[in-house]
Amino acid sequence: MQAPTAADLLNEPVVQQALEDAWKDSLPADPTQRHEEGGWVFVNPTTGKVLIRRAPAGAQTTLDLTVPPVVAGTVVVATFHTHPNPSAGGWDPGPSPADTQSAWLFGVPCLIRADDGVHTTGPALRRGGLSGGPGYPP
Amino acid sequence: MSLSVGSIAGDRALAIAQADAVRAYRDLSPFRIQLVLDHDGWHVDYELKDPRLKGGGPHYLIDPHTGAILSKRYEQ
Repeated sequence: MQAPTAADLLNEPVVQQALEDAWKDSLPADPTQRHEEGGWVFVNPTTGKVLIRRAPAGAQTTLDLTVPPVVAGTVVVATFHTHPNPSAGGWDPGPSPADTQSAWLFGVPCLIRADDGVHTTGPALRRGGLSGGPGYPP
Repeated sequence: MSLSVGSIAGDRALAIAQADAVRAYRDLSPFRIQLVLDHDGWHVDYELKDPRLKGGGPHYLIDPHTGAILSKRYEQ
């Protein structure tokens, strides 16, 4: 089985729901409470089942996805997070250079939900395929 | 570009950027600041200290003569 691409994952209902849940939890309409939310997308290499785990809430413009939880029998195939600060206020809704840099560092695609839709950055799919054990690829 | 009579110093450029940045971002503690005088003005860039974090900071270009913010970009 090949690792799913970012485009494949965005067609998965469970990923779509995770992005929307994270967006709602980001409180984008609240100027004082809006913050980044996100987590990890896992795949079971045997069954192909896609699972989601959320990270602790982030800050207004940052989120720590450095250490994914271990989910038995799965590997991380993507991260996801939100950009809750509004384009209308001059905020860039797309990936920051740090989003892209960390995605290449982790070796998995980065999915971003913003007020203008969904963006992706980093590798198209998990580095090295579905081998390499749990967590991020080696 | 070099500083000339009538130019603002780096600490003034930084103060101008900082005043805007703290209004937009509230907490600037995740960022380190890079201040560079280039041919087009003062560049003030807030970059994440930890390159593994998702996120982004503000970036400014400030007129070296008037102190006006010529452009700014809010990353997130």
